[in-house]
Amino acid sequence: MSAFTAVIDQLINGLTIGIVYVLLAAGLSIIFGVMDVINFAHGELFALGAYFALAVAGVQLLEGLPFHAFWISLLLAPLAVAVVGGGIERLTIRPLYGRNPLYHILLTFGLVLVFKDVIETRCCPPYFLLFRGTSRSSVSLPPMLEGQVALGAGITVATYSVFVIAAGTVVALGTWWALNNTKVGLIVRAGAQDRGMVRHLGIDIDRYYTLVFAFGSALAAVAGIVLAGRQGVFPAMGDSVIIPAFVIVVLGGLGSFRGAVVGGLGVGLIQTMLTSPPVLGEYVPSEELSGVVVFILMIIVLLARPQGLFGNPEWQSSGEEGELLTGSGEGVLGPTWRKRLGIGLVALLALVPLGVGVRYSTYVVDSLLVTMMIWALFALSLDFVLGYAGLVSLGHVLFFGVGAYTSVLVAQGKVAGLFADTPVAALLSVLGYSDSVFLALATGVGVAAVLAWVVGYLSIRVAGVYFAMITLAFAELVRNAVLKLQWAGSTDGLSTADNLDYGIFGQGIGEVGDVVLVEELTIGPVLVIGGEVHLSYYFVLVTVAGSYLLARRMMNAPFGSVLQAIRESEQRAKFLGYDTTAYKRRAFVVSGALAGLAGGLLPITTGIVLSVGPSDLHWIVSGEVIVATILGGMGTLYGPMLGAGLFVGAEELLVEYTDQWQAILGLLFVFFVIFVPRGLVSLPALLDRHLDLDLGGGGGETGADPGPAPEADADREVDD
Amino acid sequence: MSGEDAADPAQGEGGPGDSDTSDRSGDRILSVEELRAGYGETEVLRGVSFDVLDGEVAALVGRNGVGKTTTLRAITGAIPARSGSIRFRGESIIGEDSVATAKRGIGLVPEERRIFPGLTVEENLRMGQLGGSETAHRREVEEVLETFGNLRERRNNRGANLSGGEQQMLAIARALVAGADLLLLDEPTEGLAPLIVESVEDVIREVNDEGISVLLVEQNVAVALDLADHVFVLDRGRIVYSGPAERLEEDGEVLDRHLGVSV
Repeated sequence: MSAFTAVIDQLINGLTIGIVYVLLAAGLSIIFGVMDVINFAHGELFALGAYFALAVAGVQLLEGLPFHAFWISLLLAPLAVAVVGGGIERLTIRPLYGRNPLYHILLTFGLVLVFKDVIETRCCPPYFLLFRGTSRSSVSLPPMLEGQVALGAGITVATYSVFVIAAGTVVALGTWWALNNTKVGLIVRAGAQDRGMVRHLGIDIDRYYTLVFAFGSALAAVAGIVLAGRQGVFPAMGDSVIIPAFVIVVLGGLGSFRGAVVGGLGVGLIQTMLTSPPVLGEYVPSEELSGVVVFILMIIVLLARPQGLFGNPEWQSSGEEGELLTGSGEGVLGPTWRKRLGIGLVALLALVPLGVGVRYSTYVVDSLLVTMMIWALFALSLDFVLGYAGLVSLGHVLFFGVGAYTSVLVAQGKVAGLFADTPVAALLSVLGYSDSVFLALATGVGVAAVLAWVVGYLSIRVAGVYFAMITLAFAELVRNAVLKLQWAGSTDGLSTADNLDYGIFGQGIGEVGDVVLVEELTIGPVLVIGGEVHLSYYFVLVTVAGSYLLARRMMNAPFGSVLQAIRESEQRAKFLGYDTTAYKRRAFVVSGALAGLAGGLLPITTGIVLSVGPSDLHWIVSGEVIVATILGGMGTLYGPMLGAGLFVGAEELLVEYTDQWQAILGLLFVFFVIFVPRGLVSLPALLDRHLDLDLGGGGGETGADPGPAPEADADREVDD
Repeated sequence: MSGEDAADPAQGEGGPGDSDTSDRSGDRILSVEELRAGYGETEVLRGVSFDVLDGEVAALVGRNGVGKTTTLRAITGAIPARSGSIRFRGESIIGEDSVATAKRGIGLVPEERRIFPGLTVEENLRMGQLGGSETAHRREVEEVLETFGNLRERRNNRGANLSGGEQQMLAIARALVAGADLLLLDEPTEGLAPLIVESVEDVIREVNDEGISVLLVEQNVAVALDLADHVFVLDRGRIVYSGPAERLEEDGEVLDRHLGVSV
């Protein structure tokens, strides 16, 4: 193959992927533009399209038809997904209009879990071909789309690629035409610019939301089907495209169709040019760059032009963002009682090891409870910025994961290895650096804090949705870099049996996994402890409880008051003379450091073998910690910690009883986001008010519940 | 809806109390009584009462932040009224949202114009055509393109590329295409050059001559006095003065005390 034909080949490949991205991003962008909904479930709708196509193609009846089942599925599957999308909008998203876009992120994140589970479920008789477990299936293509087609000059390309490009172009052009030449298209475009004004003209734009959501879903489905013809159908296919699709939408400008087209083709081309070696291989270290370049591009664009390439800054000025609903001030319990309960809880946790090996296994104490406490710390770190400064960080896994990696890297001696042959090496050796758990954690905290400073410095200048996206980009950037980095274990992750010691200067009391406080204890005839009680359990308990006290101290100090003022109204805090950006950055650094501490504890305490992998950096984890924070009630510090405990506990329980635990967890989030947005800590007050309502109002379920009710109409209230 | 209601707020702030409603006879297209509304814990309107007679230009003047725009928001249903009544042609429109009030024929030309910046002039007008009122008098897109200054030349320009005056003309034209029996104008001359202010005034007069009632909300007292038949002065959430425009012009105390205009 000559260099020229290789380039053409690459170009075709890039355009094929690019046009798929265009369809995906266009749907996402239109949905965001009109309704301000960031749809994380878009990737799952994409996958669902492919699965529906597979199901349609498998129907026996279609075999006698004169044309191939693929054509029918290309028509029917998007319709089916459109129905699903419309249903999602009606049932779950509609109750949330007017709330902060964060709640849509959360809601659709819950939906991702549900869809993933539904897709991966292997159930139902074989004639129902939707559910095929985790295996990859290929879509059978009509003969006319197979083989190669000659383009002349000795160049041949896969017929299917030409088909994908042609079909994608037709659909994209059709969408563009409809947006520009139909009544609905005009209303959709106007709505993306100023929803409130559309209403003032007497047009009930809410009626179009379902339609828009269904249409965007159908576009995703088409993208899924055409890509499945090339790559097959597999459960993770939604996962693999959703982040690039977000990058494209943000790059091009949220709500801009043109941006989706340019961004989609651009990202598709860049990705292929860098992943397949022949073209640029000699000049660019493409392997290392391929995963990260798109994210770097996105970060640069966002910093230079926060509204994206084609986004119009004026369009974003609608100021319709609803407030974040904190759990604070909602409690029925006074502070004294909360304090007592807190102390009680810590005391209870301290006593739990009594009973190990008698009432429950060591697993419960050393793994489950430890994980719960670590997640509680992680959620606490997020609440510090989310609940108090109003910063929606979608990239908190970055700090958590970096902390975890640091612990393992220190234990492996790799961190000390970096300084070999420098004067620092001697110092590290005297310190007993590679053996000390304290130094390892301190390093993790330090690295996370530095990273948080960098990320915060670069991203806190942009607000709201853009901040969420840019933090997501940073986290994905690091994850993709780690995937390529041999030193960090690339796709396999790292593991070592060489654990850290409780100690410093080479002196210590033993390895973290080994130090046992009591092995067996009988008081009188009663066996109280029947297994090993590890010091590590108390080490985590003290660290987490101490971190909470520290965080609370900071929030009660003037620093915390300023942060809360910023969350309530950044404008007013500015008028009072506070450098709000500086405050937010500082909070972000503290938060990153705490997340790094939580991450650092994870590998060293939960097993004999220390291990960490790229999944500890996956964006899903960022979503999970946000969910835990909301579940508990953000803006309270203790709420998110309870939420995290519940989250880990619920997962544990559900895994034990059902294979569909993800779906159940997902539905639980959806329920919480819609009905209890202020979290668990608001439940007592919520119930209280409901009971009052029932007594006074004749028992009828008249209004929405007290939590979300004030926001239900906010979309209209603040429409200019 | 008796005439006295319009006068009673004058007692509120211990104003001069010289409101004059004796010549306020005729059908009321809009009457607002004891309206209270606000945002969150703040109550901006603390019992506002005024009315607009069919076919007149009424002006609601007041300084920054006294509740002028909030009044329009409450009328159009963009924010809920907490108490009081709002009647349009005698029918209560309390609790109706902005879609419903627009359909009744209450046209809004909002603060800062709020034309769709990414749509062309023609598309902005077609948005008016797609929505709006079925009962009110409506103008055709082509008709307003002809009659409104140079909108015709600009028909394919994006809204964002128009000058402030052109945007204002477009916002008014859009409301007329949507159809309005009562036009609510929120600071239509804000930020415009004097010459442009005059042409906007001319357009408002023309619109009124066709029989469309106008409620003009203004900070600029001169413009209000130029255009209005009757003027209401709003201060700190209450109407503190109500009278014919000619009389307010001579009332130095009201001008000075509530509007900060020295004479």
